[in-house]
Amino acid sequence: MAHNWGMVIDLDRCTGCEACVVACHAENNISTVGQEQAARSRAKHWIRVERYYEGEFPDVKVKFQPVLCQQCDAAPCEPVCPTFASYHTSEGLNGQIYNRCIGTRYCANACPYNVRFFNFYNPVWDKPLNLQLNPDVSVRSVGVMEKCTFCVQRIKAGEIQAAAEKRELKDGEIKPACVQSCPTNAMVWGDLNDPESEASRLANSSRATKLLAEVGTRPKVTYLPRDSWHGTENA
Amino acid sequence: MERRDFLKISAVAGATAALEGCGNPDHQLIRFIPEEDLIPGIATWKPSVCTLCPAGCGLLVRVMQGEAEVVRDGRLGLLKMGLAKKLEGNPAHPINQGKLCPRGQAGLQVTYHPDRLKGPLARVGPRGSGQFREVSWDDAIKQLTSQLADLQASNQEGGLALITSPLRGQKRAIFEVFANHFKKSLFVESAFLGDSVIRAANAASFGHALPPTVDLGQSNYVLSFGADFVGTWNSPVAQSIGFGEMRKGRPGQRAKFVQFEQRISHTGASADEWVPVQPGMEGMLALGLAHVIMTEKLRPAAAAGHAGSLIEGWSQGLPDYAPERIATQTGLQAETIARIAREAAAHEPAVAIIGDAATAHTNGYFSALAVNALSALLGSVGKPGGILFSSAPAAKESGVSVEILASQINSGAAAAKVLLLYNANPVFSAPAAWGVRAALDKIPFIASFGSFLDETSALADLILPDHSPLESWHDDAPPSGSARTVMSVAPPAMHPLHNTRSTPDVLLDVAHQVGGALGKALPWKAYDEAIQASFAALYKEKGTKTAKDADEFWTKAQEQGGWWSAEPNPAPVSTGGAPSAAAKATAPQFDGDANEYPFHFLPFASQLFYDGSLAHLPWMQEAPDPLSTVMWGAWVEINPKTARKLSVQQGDLVEVASPHGKLKAPALINPGIAPDALAMPVGQGHENFTRYATGCGANPISILSPLTVEGANSFAWAATRVKLSVVGRGKLILFGGSLTEASPELEHR
Amino acid sequence: MSRPAFRLSHYFCVAITIGVAALGLAVLDKALSAQGTNAPPQETSGVFTPAHPTVYEALREFLGIRSKPVQPIAYTHKVHLGNGMQCTDCHVGVDQGPDARIPSVNFCMTCHQVIATNKPEIKKLAQYKARGEDIPWQRVYGFEPSAHVKFNHAPHIRAGVDCSVCHGDMRQQTVAERKVDHTMGFCINCHQQKNASVDCVTCHF
Repeated sequence: MAHNWGMVIDLDRCTGCEACVVACHAENNISTVGQEQAARSRAKHWIRVERYYEGEFPDVKVKFQPVLCQQCDAAPCEPVCPTFASYHTSEGLNGQIYNRCIGTRYCANACPYNVRFFNFYNPVWDKPLNLQLNPDVSVRSVGVMEKCTFCVQRIKAGEIQAAAEKRELKDGEIKPACVQSCPTNAMVWGDLNDPESEASRLANSSRATKLLAEVGTRPKVTYLPRDSWHGTENA
Repeated sequence: MERRDFLKISAVAGATAALEGCGNPDHQLIRFIPEEDLIPGIATWKPSVCTLCPAGCGLLVRVMQGEAEVVRDGRLGLLKMGLAKKLEGNPAHPINQGKLCPRGQAGLQVTYHPDRLKGPLARVGPRGSGQFREVSWDDAIKQLTSQLADLQASNQEGGLALITSPLRGQKRAIFEVFANHFKKSLFVESAFLGDSVIRAANAASFGHALPPTVDLGQSNYVLSFGADFVGTWNSPVAQSIGFGEMRKGRPGQRAKFVQFEQRISHTGASADEWVPVQPGMEGMLALGLAHVIMTEKLRPAAAAGHAGSLIEGWSQGLPDYAPERIATQTGLQAETIARIAREAAAHEPAVAIIGDAATAHTNGYFSALAVNALSALLGSVGKPGGILFSSAPAAKESGVSVEILASQINSGAAAAKVLLLYNANPVFSAPAAWGVRAALDKIPFIASFGSFLDETSALADLILPDHSPLESWHDDAPPSGSARTVMSVAPPAMHPLHNTRSTPDVLLDVAHQVGGALGKALPWKAYDEAIQASFAALYKEKGTKTAKDADEFWTKAQEQGGWWSAEPNPAPVSTGGAPSAAAKATAPQFDGDANEYPFHFLPFASQLFYDGSLAHLPWMQEAPDPLSTVMWGAWVEINPKTARKLSVQQGDLVEVASPHGKLKAPALINPGIAPDALAMPVGQGHENFTRYATGCGANPISILSPLTVEGANSFAWAATRVKLSVVGRGKLILFGGSLTEASPELEHR
Repeated sequence: MSRPAFRLSHYFCVAITIGVAALGLAVLDKALSAQGTNAPPQETSGVFTPAHPTVYEALREFLGIRSKPVQPIAYTHKVHLGNGMQCTDCHVGVDQGPDARIPSVNFCMTCHQVIATNKPEIKKLAQYKARGEDIPWQRVYGFEPSAHVKFNHAPHIRAGVDCSVCHGDMRQQTVAERKVDHTMGFCINCHQQKNASVDCVTCHF
């Protein structure tokens, strides 16, 4: 059966440290836009940590939630792209094909999670910062949309390696950069079509929720909300 | 005609001619012969050590072939070489077990920074003018050698000053030899976020001058007094791994985590119960909890052993600390204190830790002793789920701080002739009140080994830039973070990009040229020889079972990133022993009259810039601050009610003034801060620190009052009072939770 | 009747528009190329920053026009392969990873410090080595950056695709030339025949 990649994020473990944010920048050649463009909301954080304050001092609670492309199975960004640059791959990802993209930005308009980012200017790396670029990932030029790909380059590399060794992929063998870097092990990634995978198991947890599920996007990122202390009994 | 052909012709006809530059070698840079045999596109992973904070995490560096522009023998050309492409945690390393915090990952940008110093420089203009000229390494080493030789000949006391970050391993050993060779040198290990208070308290309470290794993964109840333990305190990655385990790593078991502080910190945001406490009252609160536990016979007073005996009144059950008596002062309700105490005692293992602002009050040392006593009472010291101490050697303390150095030089008590500066920026990370800049002006010769021009290194007369960490050898003995004994070692992960040299190697070279006793004290030709010698000794002591000889031991250690013990072997803790003089609680002192300066000023370590030393990395400037989402700037946090009272709106430019200085930054409304406090991140406000950090934000350290933590000779940076006024409209760049503009009513953004 | 006339004037208008736009962009080109090293870091000028330095280069890439590479040394595959060498003797790594390595001058000199040393091209080779320089080979095969293709040699070699399928019969070539046009159709045809994935994200990421 074809893979259907999904992710589970346990918000009881997430501390909002942003190791995932920096790992993603490092892995995926995301350029820094600088102070002026950041002020115009053009910073490209493919994964971001949202934080919500609730209550008034002294009864204040803070919650963290990492938000990235949900690789929706009914993605609203796909039908609106005039060139099929945003499309659904055979393994359940929402693919972004940079050379098809003509920069209408309609996909970002349609995305309810605000996880799509546009290259308003040609990305710049003050030399020799260009040496940090990952050769396994494209460098997007101006006029092209970009977003989280679930580290498709790592998925491809893992599949090619498994094929070379004439075996199946093992659960947990491939980890997107964010999942790998998370110090509290809050993020789990895997094949939702494999009932034995940890991602499937956790996605079926009684705590499982999805972000904006009511909008009908069928997102493939499952969140396990922060738990509370129950005294002596609980998990 | 066919449409396609037509378009082709018309497009070409309308175009301008351009230089046929591509595909022709005559118009390109020359290529140097590669020094490494690499296959392009295939990555190798090399171990290294992260040096950006004291935790000492083990790295795996992804190295792939790339083409770098380098200068070789005065010629500019391209070189295919192994380039570090990504930093990840080393899964085998016991401290961080394959994980790495955002700062460690951004370390990659240190190597490739556009403003990195590419070779030795000598000052030409007046000091601080930033005018330097390039010199050769031979000239630079000759100059430093002659300065030190002159100093040696003069036999003057206190002639040599050294300011470094806290160092470990053979690197520290080499600096120490220099310091010891010259009479009464002033060897300062400077760090704004130092842990000397906790180490002093642990030495007194438990016999170990080390930061604690906190076994969170097996804990059932965690009381944290201000410690930002998943962000910047102690060993954050190791503690984050433990935090994840503590929460959801044990089916059927989930610990409770309570955080006490004045402002919700990055760690406090994840607390199950966040409890505000009055500043400087953390120790009192800890003793209040201890009182309840002892009075209600949940644990006997003697359980706290030696640590308890250090607190006056402990054996009588701390009568002065009954909840009703301390409620007003600590700011907690008596019932809350009692409930938390009962919960902690009922859910062992329970552990108490303290850090950050709580140990930066004038009574911070006492607070640390109090929290230690509480931990000991709860019975988790030296046990799983509690506090352990690694078998690493305790850090040696020189006893001289930046403050003492500056005051001795300014007063004339010391007359340093030569200053060696390594990996420290005291002009930035010291309050103006200490007069560090004036003291440095009095030192005739300053040599800096840093890779960047910053506020302090810009004052140097000679700059001998170090390799970046990825281009360097490393050896390290992390003092906390794992119950196993760890000795990290790693060869350089990549060849140097620029004309830099490893600082320990330069020091060894200088020592040999100065000769005499100094040269004899440092027999090695290079830093890695010194490390190898230390590993030969380690082999004899611990490694004979794992390798057949010292060479094999050394090779294996380099391959995996270090040597570590197979099993946990924490150092035993003595909770018995004769009681020493008991400490009495003192009220915290604050500088600034409460009427004129109504706010407590809380600088806090930034998750991204740490203590400001990482503000030059673009990934860190652009990553949104976790709690505020601010990018490329600094800010002042203010409680919403207070803001309304003072008519401060989000984004207003406010002036924050202490008795010792003032600064301006935009205001950020924060519901998680006490109404009588203002907070600011440490790390921005560099006047001179590469193109990315210069002129960005404001530096809270500059306005701090020069108070000291009693009993620990450490900077009490949480003891300043300030006042606030609106002076205009500022610029706050928020990433927020969406890319739409936040509406003005949304105060919480 | 009216249709041919309409088509002609339609094309005429299109041509004028393209010409004017091209001239306008060319003027802008001159202004943009003046951005020196003192430009503020990581800040864009706020002016349109194209993906190509000039309009001419943008059009060439769009139309797939590439200049013929000028090789510094007239290396001949015919001679080397004729002498019994294999592709992988020099192009190490083609079965392990994405790239087929071109060896450095040190590798060539292991033989050529004694073989054919009197030939002028070999003398050039020795001169590069003496100067401490590597030979500046110019790329022959490759995809335009705007195609955003990540090609990986190893799975193709492992699948038994012979080098000549994509690169032509190198035994007939002296200096390497682009004998096979790597259009997307070329790749897709083979993928379809061999039942390899034609999902976009297989190659474009």
